[in-house]
Amino acid sequence: MLKKLENIGTYTLTGLEQTGRTFNLLLLVLWELARPPYRFYTIVRQIYFIGARSLSLIVISGVTIGMVLGLQFYSILERFGSVNLLGAGVALSVIRELGPVMTALMVVGRAGSAITAELGIMRITEQVDALECMAISPNKYLVAPKVIAGLISVPLLTAVFDSVALFGGYFVGVVMFGVAEGSYMNGMIDAVEWEDVRLGLVKSVIFGVLITLICCAKGFYMHLTKAGSQGAEGVSFVTTDAVVLSSIAVLFSDFLIGAIFS
Amino acid sequence: MTEIPAVENAITIRDLVVDYGTRRILDGINLDIPAGQIMVIMGGSGAGKSTLLRCILGLKKPTSGSINILGTEVNGVRARDMHALRKQMGVAFQGGALFSSMSVAENIQLPLREHTRLDETTIEIMTRIKLDMVNMLPHEHLMPAELSGGMTKRTALARAIIMDPKLLFFDEPSSGLDPSTSAELDELIIMLKNSMRMTIIVITHELDSVFKIADHIAVIGEGRILETGTPEQIRASTNLEVQDLLHRKARETVVDADAHLRRLVGEEE
Amino acid sequence: MECSIKPEAGYDLLQLSGEVDMHFSPELRETILERIKAGNPLLIDMGNVSYIDSSGIASLVEGYQTAKTANLAFGLLNISGAAMQVLTLTRLDKIFSLYTSAEQFRQEL
Repeated sequence: MLKKLENIGTYTLTGLEQTGRTFNLLLLVLWELARPPYRFYTIVRQIYFIGARSLSLIVISGVTIGMVLGLQFYSILERFGSVNLLGAGVALSVIRELGPVMTALMVVGRAGSAITAELGIMRITEQVDALECMAISPNKYLVAPKVIAGLISVPLLTAVFDSVALFGGYFVGVVMFGVAEGSYMNGMIDAVEWEDVRLGLVKSVIFGVLITLICCAKGFYMHLTKAGSQGAEGVSFVTTDAVVLSSIAVLFSDFLIGAIFS
Repeated sequence: MTEIPAVENAITIRDLVVDYGTRRILDGINLDIPAGQIMVIMGGSGAGKSTLLRCILGLKKPTSGSINILGTEVNGVRARDMHALRKQMGVAFQGGALFSSMSVAENIQLPLREHTRLDETTIEIMTRIKLDMVNMLPHEHLMPAELSGGMTKRTALARAIIMDPKLLFFDEPSSGLDPSTSAELDELIIMLKNSMRMTIIVITHELDSVFKIADHIAVIGEGRILETGTPEQIRASTNLEVQDLLHRKARETVVDADAHLRRLVGEEE
Repeated sequence: MECSIKPEAGYDLLQLSGEVDMHFSPELRETILERIKAGNPLLIDMGNVSYIDSSGIASLVEGYQTAKTANLAFGLLNISGAAMQVLTLTRLDKIFSLYTSAEQFRQEL
């Protein structure tokens, strides 16, 4: 019994410590970003990795989600005889909720895990130490470009996701089930307010920073945890950890942002 | 650049203590590393050599004590001064620590590109000069994953000396290398000292290379300096632990056959 | 580092002194390349150089290569101990034309 209590205590402390370190990393990144030299090229490379390379995945999942939504909404709305609301339903759920969340989760799975593994390997093979000894700040050289790239890429990917998902819904509703094109489009245009777009944008910006930051911190601070002495196994451990943690963080903050803004 | 006043000691360490949790890793280290010479810090594994190195490099904060490098006190130094100091230090890490996304040449150029505004041609020529020194010129376009152990170490060495540092640290130069490759590296280290006004600190447990390259030796064991001196002085040391390390006994001969059998089958004696 | 150009009969004499390091080698490089562009043979007096780092050496190498392509003489004069050691280490002593007197250089022109 006492042992279990003790475990809870340890977990809480470790959790708090890691949260603290993650936010400390955010401050360090902001501080480093404010100082020259500015490295646009490394940021561009990270945007390519996090953003451009995720594009096909985002397009495929966006179309699929849009089609699934179209299917579900159609079968529900048909019962009430209000299929003219199909466009509004698909657009609102995609723009407000599913677009930012699904995009963020996809980026976590594709790029986030790679970020953690990369930084973790760099840490255990002394590459981070080497940078420091060359008087090159690892925060600035390794972490900051990734966080900035997340901040820029995730909203853009979300925009792509949203538009292809709307097309997916259109395909199912208008092309497959014969809903009038005008009612789908007008319903969409009437229902979506600037507020909804802004909410989606705010979410995607926060998710972008949150997931890259968590994934960076997990790999970058790997040596401070138990996994640090476990070599390759440790890297796989922190990578799994980072994916789980950032997915939960996305879902939870999605709720928080939703609650605050409505 | 103004002439830096000649310092007798490149590094002075006083009463250095490092605790890790409740364990004391370094216990009151006092060490003077003379400028322009090769200092070998040797000791068995777990003796605290790498912790000492990490403290000197500013990668680990000591619990107490002082480390003075080229006249700068490292413990509690301002980030900007540490930055300036690090540009005068080159480090070749044990596993090379090369950046896997960059070729050999790009790895070596990184400090130049980050810290200097030299012309592209100058950077290229400097890179080739250093690559030629370590016999890696034919391999400049290879990626780190394609290198053998010896090549990795040589590339790491080239990267460590690209800025012409005053201090060169080499962590376990001969680990994981065959004897002839490791002998080549030893010669390279001596050559660097002779022609480039460098103070070189080598961390190793490899006895062969210790006595070949060292001007001074510090023997470290269980977090303490056991003995310091020239190779001759170390050889003549009366300290038992030092002698133990020098003549690492071959495995003891089996005297008690029964006891040996019990050890092998795992029964407690 | 100080570096000054003295036009001599038929060639330029570049007098170099002090420490040639990464701060000053860009200046050295520019001076050398500019002289060669002007079409003059160049003799660099290294007698008062107390230290030269690899960026300085790299500038000399580039100068030598450029001079060679332009078919101009490029010599190093009175190279001092420390600098000579660096040249030997990098095996560049086999490449450069080294002179102990300006007279010798002039005769070879």
